Order: sequence, then C-alpha cells, then structure tokens
Amino acid sequence: MKPAPFEYAAPDNLEEVVSLLEENEGDAKVLSGGQSLMPLLNMRLARPEVLVDLARVPGLDYVREDDGLLVIGAMTRQRTVELSPIVGEGHPLVLEATRNVAHPQNRNQGTFGGSLAHADPSAEYPALAVALGAKLKAVGPDGEREIDADEFFVTYLTTDLEAAEVLTEVRIPKLPAGAAWSFTELARRHGDYALAGVASYFSRGDDGKVADARIVLFGVGATPVRATKAEQELIGQTPGAAVFESVRKAVLDDVEEPQTDVHASAEQRRSLAAVLTQRGLVDAARRAGISL
Amino acid sequence: MRIPNKIEDLPTSTNRFIGKEVERVEDRQLLTGRTEFIDNVSLPGMLHCAILRSPNAHARIVSIDTAAAEAMPGVVAIVTGKDALELTLPMQTVPEGWGTHCLATDRVRYVGEPVVAVAATSRYVAEDALEEIVVEYDPLPPVVDTEKAAESAPIYDEHESNVVFQRTFTWGEVDAAFASADHVLTEKFRWHRLGANPLECNGVVSEWDPADGTVTARGSFQSQVNMGLLSAGALQVPSNKMRIISQPHGGSFGGKGGPRGTIITALLSRKAGGRPVKWIEDRMEYLAGGAGQSWDRYYEVSLALQKDGTISGLRVKLLDDLGASAEGFGAVSAAKPLAAFTGPYKIPVAEYDLTLVATNKLPQSPYRGMGPPPHNWVLEQMVDLAANHLDLDPGEIRRRNFIPKDAFPYTIPSGNDYDSGDYEAALDAVLEMGDYASLRAEQEEARKQGRYLGIGLVNTIEPGVFDWNAYAIVGSQQTGVPEGATVGIDIMGKIVAKVGFSLEGQGQYTVISQVLADYFGVEMSDVRVVPQDSLSAPPHFGPGGSRLGVAITGAVLGAADILREKLIRVGANLMQTQPETLELGDGMIRIPGVAEAQIPVAQVAATMLARSDLLPEGMDPNPEATYVWTAPGRTPADEQGRAKSYLTAANACHLVLVEVDRDTAEVKILKYFIADDCGTRLNPATCEGMTQGGVAQGVGAALLEEYVYDDDGQLLTSTFMDYLMPTIYEVPMTDKKALVTPSPFTPLGAKGMGEGALHTTPAAVMCAINDALRPLAVKAHEVPASPKRLWALLNP
Repeated sequence: MKPAPFEYAAPDNLEEVVSLLEENEGDAKVLSGGQSLMPLLNMRLARPEVLVDLARVPGLDYVREDDGLLVIGAMTRQRTVELSPIVGEGHPLVLEATRNVAHPQNRNQGTFGGSLAHADPSAEYPALAVALGAKLKAVGPDGEREIDADEFFVTYLTTDLEAAEVLTEVRIPKLPAGAAWSFTELARRHGDYALAGVASYFSRGDDGKVADARIVLFGVGATPVRATKAEQELIGQTPGAAVFESVRKAVLDDVEEPQTDVHASAEQRRSLAAVLTQRGLVDAARRAGISL
Repeated sequence: MRIPNKIEDLPTSTNRFIGKEVERVEDRQLLTGRTEFIDNVSLPGMLHCAILRSPNAHARIVSIDTAAAEAMPGVVAIVTGKDALELTLPMQTVPEGWGTHCLATDRVRYVGEPVVAVAATSRYVAEDALEEIVVEYDPLPPVVDTEKAAESAPIYDEHESNVVFQRTFTWGEVDAAFASADHVLTEKFRWHRLGANPLECNGVVSEWDPADGTVTARGSFQSQVNMGLLSAGALQVPSNKMRIISQPHGGSFGGKGGPRGTIITALLSRKAGGRPVKWIEDRMEYLAGGAGQSWDRYYEVSLALQKDGTISGLRVKLLDDLGASAEGFGAVSAAKPLAAFTGPYKIPVAEYDLTLVATNKLPQSPYRGMGPPPHNWVLEQMVDLAANHLDLDPGEIRRRNFIPKDAFPYTIPSGNDYDSGDYEAALDAVLEMGDYASLRAEQEEARKQGRYLGIGLVNTIEPGVFDWNAYAIVGSQQTGVPEGATVGIDIMGKIVAKVGFSLEGQGQYTVISQVLADYFGVEMSDVRVVPQDSLSAPPHFGPGGSRLGVAITGAVLGAADILREKLIRVGANLMQTQPETLELGDGMIRIPGVAEAQIPVAQVAATMLARSDLLPEGMDPNPEATYVWTAPGRTPADEQGRAKSYLTAANACHLVLVEVDRDTAEVKILKYFIADDCGTRLNPATCEGMTQGGVAQGVGAALLEEYVYDDDGQLLTSTFMDYLMPTIYEVPMTDKKALVTPSPFTPLGAKGMGEGALHTTPAAVMCAINDALRPLAVKAHEVPASPKRLWALLNP
C-alpha cells in the first residue's frame, strides 16, 4: 500500500497553486487534510502526476463572521470549526454536522474545504452547505468566482470546480432567527460515513405555521439531495406528529436512486432517510421548545 | 515432581504476587514505544518484498512476463510459481492433499492469491515493479456458492469433487433419543465469514545463508516451532537449519500462524544471494489474502426435547466453506467443537454431520476460539427456542439441563472430560447482577411503547489447554502439546526464565514473573523472562488454544521444583545436614521450625557457581533447570473422534439487554453482565482484560464483521471502510463477576480462559436480538445481524 510515484509541490501562495494546476491540467491533485486523498493514493486508486499541497499557503485558515455570514477558510481544520466560539455560539447546525464528521483524530487533520471539494455524497459537509445555502469561493486562472452550494456538487466525488480552480472560502448564512434545526445520521459505527442522514431546519411565522423549511438528505444519491416535496409538506403547516408523518412519506418520493452496497439496500436507505427526517423534525421541534 | 495445583501449596507463607492484580511486566516497554515489532527490524542490505496477487477468483495462468520488472532499477529478485515448483513443496494442509505452493503454479483459486513476489531496495520500488509484471489469465467459472460447491466442477484437478471432508459422527443412541422425544425442534442458521484482525498484520524478515544452507526468519509469529516446521517442510530445509525468531507482535488471535510469507521471503533471499528480505503485510493484503477469514457456516440443528424441558439429544449438521485450500486450519476449527459439543448441558447423546467444501474464496484460518463461537450460538439459540416452545424462562430451562456441580469430572458424549464447574452459580450470579426480574419488567414496559427490547441469557463452556488430539477427525495426529521453560538463578541471585515464545499481548511473562517471585521469595523485578528462538528454546508451542497460561505455569513450576531439589542438596552440604530435613520456603533453604537454620536461596545458588569446593561430590554446578509440561491424562481419539483433549472447562454466563429499532433495524446494547469461572485467576486483571477483549470481538461478530464475496468471487469488503471492526463506541463495558472453581488437574488450579468471551458474546447478543424480535414473529438466524439483514427481515 504505497503510492505510485508523483511530484510533490508545496507552494506558499495561491497564484502558484493555480499555475501548477493549470500547467498540469487534469494530472494534478490538490492536497489539503489528506483524510480521503492519502488512502486513495496509497491504494493507487488516485494517481496524480503532481500533488499540490496547500499546507504552506497562508491565509486559508480562519473562522470569522462577516456581514451576518459565517466565513470559513478552506484550509481550516474541522476540529478548529468544532471548537470555534463563533460556530458554537451562533451556528448550531454547523457545529452538529462537524461533530458527526468521522472521529476527532480525523477532524484534527481534515479540512472544511477539503471535505466539500472531495464531494462524497455520504459526507456531512456537502449536505450542510446545501441546507444552509452556502456560497463557495474558488480561485482559478480567470480570478475568483462564487458558486452556490446547490450547483457545486455535480455527482459522486465531482464538483463544479475547474481543473485549475481551488476552493478558498465558504460563506454560510445563519439559520433564520428562532429556527428549529436538526442534524441526524445513521452509520454502521460511530464515525463512519452515514448509511443515510439529514440536515434540516424550519422556521415559523407569527401564526406558528412553518414559513420556511430546508431538508437536505445525504448518503442517498450522487450528491446531497434536497427533499423539496417533503419541504412543501411542511411549509404552511403547524408542526406536529401528523405533519411530520406526511413529511416522512414525501421523503420516500424525494429520494430517487440510493445505492445498494454491502451495508444497506437502496430501499433501506430510502426508508432510513424518511425515518431520520421525521425523527430529526421531532428533535428540532423539541429543541426549539415547540410543543407537539 | 511436585507441581502444586493450589496457590497455597507454593513454598511461600503468603503469595505476594500470584493470584493478585499486578502491573504487567510487558507494559512499560509497550506503552513507551520501546517494544521491537517486526517492522522496526532493519538488517544490513535488507530488501523489501511486495506480492502480486490474483485479481481473479478462478483462472488458469497462461503466462507470466517479469522482464520489464526485472529491468527496473532497485529490483533485485523476482520469484514466481515456477520457482516455487522447483524449490519448494506444497504447504501442509489438514486434511492432507488440499493445498498449493506458496505462489500459484498453474492456476489461481481466489482473489488475493500470491502469484509473483518481488524483492527490491524499497517497498515503493517493489510495488512499482508489480505494475510492470504481465500475467495472462484464462478465467474459469468460480465456485462461490457454498451450498452448490459439492456439485460444481472441482477446483483441484487431483480431486473428483470439492468435498474435502464428509462424515457423520454418532455418540450414543441418537435415533432412539429423537424417536422418544416429546418434541423435536429443527432450525437452520447461517454464520458468515469473519475472522482475526490483529492490530499488526503479518511480517517477516528472512535470510537464506548460501554458505551453509541455513535460514533465519524473524517475524510476528504466534508459534515458533510450528512456523519452523511448516516453512522448513515447504522449503525442503532440514528442521534444525531453520531458525525462527518470534518478535513481539501486535496480537494474533489466530492470524499469525501461516508460513507463506516466510517461505516467499526465504526464496527471495535465496535468489538475492542471501540478502535479508522483509515483507510487511498491509491491511488490504491481509483482508483479501491473509489469515483473517474463518467460519463460513451453514447449520441445521435439531434438539430432542422432553415436556419438562430436558434436552435428550442434539443433532448438528454443518456445512463449512473452507475456501480454496485446507492450509489454514479451517477443518480443525470445525473439529474443535467436539471438545465441548453439548455445552454446559447433560445432553446424553449427540450427532455431528460434518461437510467441508472447497470454494474459490480465501482459505480459512484459525480465529480466537477456533470453532465454538458459531457452534455455541446455534446451541444456545436452540435452547432459547426450546424455552419458548415450552413457555419456560430461558434461565429455567438451562438450570434444568446443567451438568450438576457434583458430577465432575464429567464425560460428554463427544468424548472430552470437563474438569470442574458450578454452572448454576454463574447463572445465579448474573441474574442477581442484572436484576433479571427488573429487566423483564423493563422489556414489558418498552413493548407497550412500541419499543423492542430483548434479553440474552446464555451459558457456555470454554475448552482450555488445547490438544492436537481434539482435531483427530480431520487428520491431526498428535497427542500432547509440550511447553518448556528453563529457570536459572545467577550469581547475584537474580532469576532468568527462558521460554520459546515472544510477546503477543496476553501477559504470560507477567505470570511467569509472579510464579517465580513467589516460589523463590523474591520481587517480580528480580525475575527476567528471556525469549529463545526455535532452536535454543526447550520444546514449546507458544500461545494458542487457551493453553499457554496454564502450560507455562506448569513448565516454570516444574523447572523450579528441579531447581529446588538441587538447592536443597547444596544447602544440606552447607548446613551439614541431610537433604530430607530441608525445605525451600520464603526464599530460604531451611530446616522447618528452626529459626536460625536457614540460608538464602541466592547464597546457595552463588555457592553452586563460585564455590565448587563446597558442593556435594559429583554435583553439577548449575543452578538452572528445564522442565517441559504437557497436559496429563490425554488420550488418542477413538474411531468416532472421542478423546480426552482439552484439559480444562471454564464456564461463563452472559446476560445482555439490547434494543432493536423497528424502523432503522439498528441494534443497541444497553446492559451487559458476565459471571465467569476460569478456576484460579493467576492475574485477575489479565483475566478481566481477556474477557473484555473477547466481548469486543463477540460484538463485532454478532453485529458488524463480515467478509462479503460477490457471485464472481470478488471480495467486496477489502478495506476497513467495509470490513467493520468494532470500536470503543460499539463495545459495552461489561459488569463482571469472577467465580472460582479451581481445576483439580492443572498447575495452581488455573483453567484456560483466553477465548471464552468470544465463545459466548455472539450467542448472547443474538439470543437477545431474537428475544426482542419475538413479538414481530421474525427470527434473526444469520450472523452478523447487520442492519441490512435485520431491515430486510423487518420489511419483507
């Protein structure tokens, strides 16, 4: 389990990163925390000619608030996000998603941006980004651009990033004031990729009815799956067991083609997504002090 | 020879160490990173081996082209099946004749089978070289379905079918018992492949000395003597020219016994002019091509049951999928249940219909417990079904069938003797620890809320102190497993014990130090255990089969006793008295009852080495002695496989509460209680650790671990992302109670206890799951009870 030969570059500025990616178009791979890439290299499943390590590029490691948004540098370690007072005080869904990412040892090394750019559809952060409507900032040969999370995830392990683009920053809106939220997943073992999971929130109007809702599933498709039918079941309703039951049923329709593998069948994943959504809504309501 | 079978009979007025929770002598080095594992070993000129493995489950090898790899800078030697054919014999198998050479010669029979091995200046270069080797295969239809293996085309040309073994063993009037039963219950069970996964995989550094034809192999070897015999046999090297040095290793659980790595690296070293060659097996190699797969079983089990709950007969029909050869003890694992076939129950007659087949999967290897974990599960699950059938409590039906405590030694139908035990005491202990009535009330309450709680309450026997004769039915020939130790006292009064095994994790060096410190009245730090290689050690086997703690205690006590006699002879000369008037006690050679008449052992030993003028005439001036222990009273197997085999029978009762989530099929272990009895506990802390570790593996077996092959024989669980080991989050910390019924037949009354929790935990968890599922009228009769399987059961 040793990688095939590769060139290693560790530039100390983004311009050089981009030009290296450009020079080796398609044959270069960006290394951030390495939690997914290093095993792939060692198993010789990934065989880049050049590995461009972001470790020495300054200014990509930060958590701050800017204009009401949570702003996270792409090279920020997941553990830093988890322990950030800004996240802890104002961004509970980000915190809860982070706690579900693998194990502390992985989070010490893994980066926020790396997980998003890797785009594993069973991972927590892609679903989180879609749920909260994050914007992802990338730098490439033509300069900087911002991509909506909805458009960022194309399919399994594939994003909207061009070969010479590198993710630099993620801007995440706060949950609406008073929103009820939940992050729920089921994995074979603590810390494993989820068989299925869901990031959700809803907020209510003055009449107590759901005004806005987001339900994003993961582990059940090629990308995070926005459960739009389920959201529609929720919006305009007074939260309660009957509504959550119809949301559960709607999720079954929202999930199209989950994969079957040694750990779960497609039907099981679909069903899990629905059950977890329902349970997540109950948790969310309880946490928000909504009596059901 | 005086080997005490009670701690009180040691020559010390108070045992300061043995039987006490002492700090393990192994731990400081382990915890400070000072232990030298095989991957730390680096020899001058050493090369690194990488192995090209078959991507096909079944194929003929048409051609192998290594020219490009040979031309690569840094590549020093390459061996293929051609070299293996020329220079080696096939590896030994049980039964005989179902094996292959260390490298595939004409066809491959499983994904991961070694085909070509490269030695290069680094592992990186060696792996790069593998990519330059071209092997042309002609695929053959793979035999993957165990139940169809017998009718499928044979995977060995020299055999007419894939049936490796088929026989029915009958012990007593089984037909009559079933004919006269009030009820006969029959069920099918399936136990999927899983197995040993030590933290460290296999590793070896071999050196072929071209000058004198000797081979030295250092490695993470469980048994030096076995590794020596198996590898020397294949390499056609005289056994005394094969030196095996076992490095301390990061666990084995049965996974460190195969000789293939030693044979391949020795061949490469031979081709490389004697340069040492290192092979470190990586996890992917281990999972697909190593020693990690065991017990791939289909069961049909019948109980003859009387109205009052008495079980009057047991029939077990087993079809076990050995994989592509019989090199790795799969057959032995199927034979092992004979040592405790009927569990803790006085079932008078039994039958074992055993079929072993070869398929295109990785050959089975031993795993902690060898064969009983699946056997115990199906037996205990049947007892639960019998309880349900008669509307009896699972504890009560067991109580009615237990071998009573005054019936020992007790001969079971399959021939082995149990030495001692009190099974009701263990049952009573867990019922009390867990407050069983309240658990049932909790279950009742939960059901009303639509939650499915289940209680598992199982009892098992752990045969301890293994003997080869237990496996006679599949061709094992030996009776007795010798284990030796040499114990000496140096001129400064310090003690050295020399043994034939290295550190594997079980803490035997600690036990040796405890025993000798108490025996000679010194501190544990005055004792040092020094491992010897396979040629310098006394006869030995090493760890395995819940045996070494008992066996090495016997060996060092035997050696100490010989030494005691020598010391007394010298002491008598010094004290001008007769040896018969002297004793060894509390570190002194002394006349009992005469306070002044004593000389420290250290002084007597020093006299032997430094004052020959003070020795009795003709005395050998050597304060050192060797003793080789083997279990007493073992008998060769009769024609039905019946033998006095495993010397001890430890027992355990596990009580577990689980919850099955109806909607997600998730299983959570809520409470876990264990009462176990392994006789005298030489180091209670080690016993507790052994039990907790066995629970971890048992939880893995019941819920997580499984090797999955697809219809083409491709392994789908080839990394730890998919082969799921239990982690600390999945394993409950158990409440444990130690019961002590000493063995009357063993040194200090200890029983083998290294495997018992893995013998019991899968049964306990599975019985609990089935208890939870009862209101839903489904049976979980496949292990592991993964969420995928349970979900399918719950959503038909």
